[in-house]
Amino acid sequence: MTTILAILLAFFGKPLFQRPAAPDTALLPPDGFLQSWKRAENPRVFTSSDLYGYIDGGAEIYLEFGFEQLTVQSYRPVPQSAADEFKAEIYRMADPVAAAGMYLMNCGKERPDPSFAERHTLNEFQLLFKRNRYYVVINNSEGNQKLRAAMLEFGRYIAARLPAEASIKLGEVLPSRGLDRTSIRFIRGPYALQAIYTLGEGDILELDRRVTAVSGRYDDAGIKYSLILVDYPTEEAAQKAFLNVQTHLDRYLNVQEKTSRRLVFKDYKNEYGVIDVASRRLTIQLHLADRPTAGVRQQCRKMRNTAI
Amino acid sequence: MNNDPLELNRREFVKTIGTCSVAAGGLVLGVPAFGQEKQAAPKVETNISDFLKVPKNKHSLPGPFPGKAVKVQDERSLEQDRFNSEVIHQMVEKGITTLTGKSMKESFGLFFDKRDIIGLKVNPVGPPLINTSQELVDAVIAWLVANGTPKQNIIIWDRFDYMLKDAGFTAGRFPGIGIEGLQTMDERGNNWRDKDGNHVSINNFDRNVFYYAKGIVGKKVRGYKDDEFYLNQHVFNGEYSYFGKLVTQKLTKIINLAAYKNTGNGISMACKNLGYGALCNTGRLHDPLFFSVCTEVFAAPVIRDKLVLNITDGIRGQYEGGPDKNAQFVYPNRALYFATDPFALDMICHRELVAKRKEMGIQVNENPRWTEYLFYAEKLGLGVATPERIKLTRV
Repeated sequence: MTTILAILLAFFGKPLFQRPAAPDTALLPPDGFLQSWKRAENPRVFTSSDLYGYIDGGAEIYLEFGFEQLTVQSYRPVPQSAADEFKAEIYRMADPVAAAGMYLMNCGKERPDPSFAERHTLNEFQLLFKRNRYYVVINNSEGNQKLRAAMLEFGRYIAARLPAEASIKLGEVLPSRGLDRTSIRFIRGPYALQAIYTLGEGDILELDRRVTAVSGRYDDAGIKYSLILVDYPTEEAAQKAFLNVQTHLDRYLNVQEKTSRRLVFKDYKNEYGVIDVASRRLTIQLHLADRPTAGVRQQCRKMRNTAI
Repeated sequence: MNNDPLELNRREFVKTIGTCSVAAGGLVLGVPAFGQEKQAAPKVETNISDFLKVPKNKHSLPGPFPGKAVKVQDERSLEQDRFNSEVIHQMVEKGITTLTGKSMKESFGLFFDKRDIIGLKVNPVGPPLINTSQELVDAVIAWLVANGTPKQNIIIWDRFDYMLKDAGFTAGRFPGIGIEGLQTMDERGNNWRDKDGNHVSINNFDRNVFYYAKGIVGKKVRGYKDDEFYLNQHVFNGEYSYFGKLVTQKLTKIINLAAYKNTGNGISMACKNLGYGALCNTGRLHDPLFFSVCTEVFAAPVIRDKLVLNITDGIRGQYEGGPDKNAQFVYPNRALYFATDPFALDMICHRELVAKRKEMGIQVNENPRWTEYLFYAEKLGLGVATPERIKLTRV
């Protein structure tokens, strides 16, 4: 547990927005790559202040995780064939957890290619991968199956120029028994939380893009539930966040039990949720079929931990 | 609440689905109409009450078939990842005739006359995967032209001209058909002002017809670089979102051709396609109002009285990562959805997409807030949202 806490501490207090460095154009394949690909236009660079202009309706989640810069470069084959086009999107995030957070949000059910080293997923339209604090997408606009190998080569070229992969052990805080490992997600604010559950309006858990929560789904001998764990920098911060949830609990959640350390509610599907605060940690269990008993949190603590 | 969209099909819907009553007073943003949905406190004052004062006409929402939706599915519509135009034409005919219970010619007469200027509101976001398909637009145009609408009276439109082009809605692809974006947006952000310093699209919007949201201004909206950047994308930045003159002055009828995809835990289909596509200065509205904007914009007479048909293009679907394309979550759905009532249609599609998300192992947040706007529309008499009152016919 000490190790885990040390890892978590490493992410606290990190500056939210670091000063943007130079564009990542040096990571991009040059004209003539694979003999036939040429840049179709000048690279475009977006920062946190204009990302919304590039991602229609989807920029908030990048900003929430911690986003520094996006470099976009389109390529066309020479001689030009049909409408084939590759578009490389290189997202430089604030830290490796931010890159992993975005990758996990977007990868869906991963379909890896055994020849590609980074954590990734591939289909005929896209290659998505992450490495260190970079999240990279290679788009094959027409979904031309014949270009699958070329997509991977574009990915390899970029990956080879990125910093070495960083070990992220944040998921180790989740108990391993019954955990669906593909369901692990990171949360740094309301947009990522909303994808999982609505506890209330806004940044209800007071993560403020600095504290990283981790979540996963469980099927433990037929008992299904979701778990969110949040370790705050201080006990006071954890207690304050707990009080914020108690005070501003979503209007569709009905309080069943409320103490200074525990909140039990019943939701719109007649499922139960429970939030416990202990020391610096909030433990949130959701989608419970039965009203939780006091022993649940202790049970969780006894479970073996897992790595992502 | 039952979340199985198939359940709708199994039920016998014999309840009378009459015209919903308009709630004249005490309207509150985000108020659902029934069941366990709870009242949200009013947050933003808008001009919805002005919209509601205008008497309806015979074409007003929810149209002649409140609470009725038709789903036409054909496995041949998407083969080897290519659209089958002929099959899609057949699906459109099946959908319209099943919805109306009349022939294609009679159906035309139900919604249009030959003098109408008909706008086809497409969704060009996410090409080539998850935008309104050109094949669907072809089929709708063929129906209109076959029944006497001159080609020049048909206009394919969206809010942004460059998105129409990106999605292949060009004069070359659709000869004789009008193609109009309500506004220009210069993606590079440099060339959008005219010589007088105004946005080049400023005169495309009708200052007399607007959606007002008190205190919600398009300045310093998070996610926008600066107010200049916002103006480029939104033309205006005050408390008013003006409707496009195309909608207010030129079009006499609208067909809403949405795509089938999610936006977060909700959907970006019929209601969002027009709710955020017919007017400017919408960036300011997302955070405080989001889906309720869709309901209130549909209450505006320029939409309520002109929108006669909704067809949601679900040949492909996207269950996560929307509204822009995310290939990881695109799947062949091979279906088109038809309704005069956009809210019933969106309720059907929302429930389907929730089921798909569960099937695919996506964590689903089913908080009722994501469909509150549909119940709000029901309360306003614009459509039917209560699942038990919706009749879905599958073909």
